[in-house]
Amino acid sequence: MSALRMPRVASMQFKPFRTKGWGRIAFLVVTSVLMLVPMYLLIISAFKSQQDILQHPFSLSPDQLTTEYLRKAATNPDFNILKGYAVTILFVVSVNLLSVALAGPVSYVIARRSERRYRMLLLLFVAGTFIPSQVLVIPVVYTLKFLGLMGTIPGFVLFETTLTLPFSIFLYAGYIMTIPASLDEAAAVDGAGKHRVFWSIVFPLMKPAVVTMVILNTFSVWNDFVNPQIILGPGSGLYTVTTGVYAAVSQYSTDYTVVFPTLLLAVAPLLVVFVLLQRHVISGLTAGATKG
Amino acid sequence: MRARLTTLSMVGPALVLFVVMLVVPVCLSLYLSLTDWDGYSANPAFVGLKNYVSLTHSAEAIRAGWVTLLIAAVGTVLLSVFGLGFALLVNGASRLNAFFRIVLFYPHVLSALVVGFLWSAVLGTSGVVNGWLTSKGAEVLPFLSDPKWALVSLIAVLVWAGFGVNVVLYLAGLQTVSKDLLESARIDGASKRQTFFNVTLPALAPVVTVNLVLSLVTLLKTYDLVVSLTGGGPAGSTQTAAYLILWDSFHNNALGFGSAQSVVLMVITAGLALTVARLRASADRGVQG
Repeated sequence: MSALRMPRVASMQFKPFRTKGWGRIAFLVVTSVLMLVPMYLLIISAFKSQQDILQHPFSLSPDQLTTEYLRKAATNPDFNILKGYAVTILFVVSVNLLSVALAGPVSYVIARRSERRYRMLLLLFVAGTFIPSQVLVIPVVYTLKFLGLMGTIPGFVLFETTLTLPFSIFLYAGYIMTIPASLDEAAAVDGAGKHRVFWSIVFPLMKPAVVTMVILNTFSVWNDFVNPQIILGPGSGLYTVTTGVYAAVSQYSTDYTVVFPTLLLAVAPLLVVFVLLQRHVISGLTAGATKG
Repeated sequence: MRARLTTLSMVGPALVLFVVMLVVPVCLSLYLSLTDWDGYSANPAFVGLKNYVSLTHSAEAIRAGWVTLLIAAVGTVLLSVFGLGFALLVNGASRLNAFFRIVLFYPHVLSALVVGFLWSAVLGTSGVVNGWLTSKGAEVLPFLSDPKWALVSLIAVLVWAGFGVNVVLYLAGLQTVSKDLLESARIDGASKRQTFFNVTLPALAPVVTVNLVLSLVTLLKTYDLVVSLTGGGPAGSTQTAAYLILWDSFHNNALGFGSAQSVVLMVITAGLALTVARLRASADRGVQG
């Protein structure tokens, strides 16, 4: 086939298609506007009065904008947003660390051993993907009560970590299989133990897979609602960003001077992170998908 | 012996956590679904399959089941069509395409809860769009206050928030399409349509499977968006299975009945996902053979 390749001719033949590009771009511009309108409304409405939001929702008159409502939302007694950020970040970091520490070694064993029982182990973990976490949370409440961990930070972090295991182990094991086993055999000959071989030889090579999982886990822990709502509960006084938003917004759902600023404060950090890291986010997701 | 202990120390911690927090709860769910537990009493009575029988008589549960299946079926089709369509449109390395990809994808970064509150502020009876329509002297539209409109709005918001993921997955798939095959098809004089159906689509088959299974599993557990967009209303018309399960379990204290619904949802989710994966796999074999 390569003998038939005539790149120059081929590219010349293909040029006429390029002139049709304007329809495509116009269509994409219209779609982009539709995608961005809610975000535009969210941002500008956070600086407007209720009357202004309802009567002129789309217009932006600089002299009427005020940061008053945003400041009020930031100091809302029902929901301390700074504490919400801190609690959520604590959860994101703990779940990510624990998830890597637990899923890494087991994936290594699964990837390097060919016995049937290790294949069954992988299947067992992967089957976890099909169990909706909202369904799981009911019996988990009773398991946590039995362990004395209900309503506690360790209880929540352990459960949330468990939810990350199926996909992490699947992704890591697949990735480790692409790393030549001769590398770790050489280290083992030099006298390194299995743990040592994994953490100092294999783990550094898994970086792309780990980055992908950390990004995915960060989004899912930050955005989770039902698990923190039920496991931490209102009694614990611990609000994540999403459960805090729920507490603050569901009571004042028609007072848009509360709704929009609160929602903006909730999404702003993640949106900033996304814009800064978008290349890694999208390519990470892509890697996760083709491996999955 | 020592090697065994080492292996055990690598497998053990993850396995123990997985069994305690996932396998045991699933078994507990199976057991609870056979009792009349209310969440408080020390000795719940064993009632056999009674909860499953009442499930087949519960108009509310049956409606939630159909609503969930409708959302999953329509949603999966729309997500796949939009996903593949837009992936073809933004495929290719240019700055403009990179920008479009970010714009199509960004709602996925927001939590479903926030997305629901945002859209309910936009589409609600006294929301932004209706406020604007009123100020223009037009009639208010019942986006969230009419049962049929509310379900359509819910699906539309799900698609708005989710199809960017499918775009990204299809873009990943498009990278795997053989450049040589595309080029030789071009040289052989194949039309764009022929090339798409005979070269591109068969190469995308594995990604199609991933997309369908992922969308189905995600949509079957729709919950957060229902809470914040419609609250299950009006009159229960947008209650999904996950919504009703948590409502029955925690507000109605019908733990046994809620668990029976959970078991049914788990079985349906796993069954549908495996069926789709298997159908796609045999379709691929058909193409190759």
